[in-house]
Amino acid sequence: MIEALAYVVIALAGVAVIWGLVTAVANKPPGKAQLLFAAGVEIVTVVQSIIAAAKLVAGARPVELATTIAYLIGIVILIPIAWLWANVERSRFSGMVLAVAALGVLAMTLRLLVLWAPAS
Amino acid sequence: MTGVPTQPAGSEVRSTNRGAGRALVAVYGIFALAATARASVQLLTRFEQAPLAYLLSALAGVIYVVATITLARGTHTSRRIALIAIIIELVGVVSVGTLSVLYPEAFPRATVWSAYGIGYGFVPLILPIVGLAWLWHTRAS
Repeated sequence: MIEALAYVVIALAGVAVIWGLVTAVANKPPGKAQLLFAAGVEIVTVVQSIIAAAKLVAGARPVELATTIAYLIGIVILIPIAWLWANVERSRFSGMVLAVAALGVLAMTLRLLVLWAPAS
Repeated sequence: MTGVPTQPAGSEVRSTNRGAGRALVAVYGIFALAATARASVQLLTRFEQAPLAYLLSALAGVIYVVATITLARGTHTSRRIALIAIIIELVGVVSVGTLSVLYPEAFPRATVWSAYGIGYGFVPLILPIVGLAWLWHTRAS
């Protein structure tokens, strides 16, 4: 895991949360730009998980290895599931679903930073 | 709401997976994922440290999974299962929350329900209340 990249994920996910809430409050379904942005957040998240996996393979050992692996897998599946779920019924709540997933990514990335820090 | 009818006319029950229900299912889904993943790791790697806490974590995870699936399906039968799951969830978070505050030594490791879900921003306490409210809101009229 690269700390700077984690903060990028956190910032992008934060924007996705706010964007989802804004469209929900405005009573609009998520627009194309918003869906593309969510895809962008997903791509950065996947890159981060791949880098972290490579570092684990290379011998990095966070304190809670199993939990770290679970989180690295967890963060990459949230947005795709939310994307599909949001597109089945397109309404203001599709934006809420994307916001919830992005909030999950944000929280799990914050947790990953804590887990990763004391690597020895 | 969208103003677009999402159910055919004459339908008895409003489905739990429409409208705001979709956001609720998303939150349940995240808790299902987080709680089961965490409990699996705890049970597999250090069950002996806090068997009660870890088994409760696993129970919480299973309940979240059941609630997620049944709310997402939104059929007549799945509503009933969701109702039971969410009631167990509410009883669980209130009783485990209270016990963990009164007898912290019984819970040497945190569960998702410890101190009413303080580790998860009290969402575990709010979620079953919102879930029950949603089932009430979508009940047969």
